[in-house]
Amino acid sequence: MNLFRSEEHARRWSQFQPRSEEGFITLADLAGFFGTESRRHMLDGDYLSTWYPRRAAERRAYLTQIGKTSPFWMGTPDPPAA
Amino acid sequence: MADARLMDRAFQRIMRSLVDGGRALHYAELARALGLPAEDGRTLLHDVMAAYPIGWLHPETDYIVSFPPLNNLPTQYRITVRGEQRWFAQCGFEATSATWLFPGQTVRVDAPCLDCGDPVTVEMRDGRITWIDPAGVVGHLAFGFGASRGLPQYL
Repeated sequence: MNLFRSEEHARRWSQFQPRSEEGFITLADLAGFFGTESRRHMLDGDYLSTWYPRRAAERRAYLTQIGKTSPFWMGTPDPPAA
Repeated sequence: MADARLMDRAFQRIMRSLVDGGRALHYAELARALGLPAEDGRTLLHDVMAAYPIGWLHPETDYIVSFPPLNNLPTQYRITVRGEQRWFAQCGFEATSATWLFPGQTVRVDAPCLDCGDPVTVEMRDGRITWIDPAGVVGHLAFGFGASRGLPQYL
């Protein structure tokens, strides 16, 4: 999970995987993805028991909101090859 | 597994140590801070890491490597706050979450682009992006989320 100067730079990266062509995200979307409500409570005394368990659902909801619903982003199994 | 309140206290102590000093407490320090015997601190650390699996210990040790969004082991994602470069983010994505650990402060992320080595800089304040250089900076997920797609530290 890296930051690159541009998409072109990422594609030139020696470890770029063709599959990850769908792995780009704008910085604004990334800040939203990693700025969901639970993230704002990381210093709270009940973060681990109260806030961290909400993180996965928040992430799915945010990814849906920005249209990144593929297995690659959602972390779900790939559908069987046809 | 330790009780939830103790786990919360341990988590907060570890996170606070990273934020305040740039390094995570050792389990013996964690134990002392919580009034526990050292060995109980070690067990508690392992319990916390099991409950927070987006972080990890160095294999075969009790040393915290990653406690996102920050990293105890230096990475290329350097974090600067109040003019001090004391912190490292786990990865480029988590770097954008570090802002929530420093409320009211400008948090600067500096990293070399993995393609060319030229700098990538992002500044954020209370979750808002306040500076990007160059303007085209993007995030890139290399292997996809999900356990079958690669080791977490290399996603």
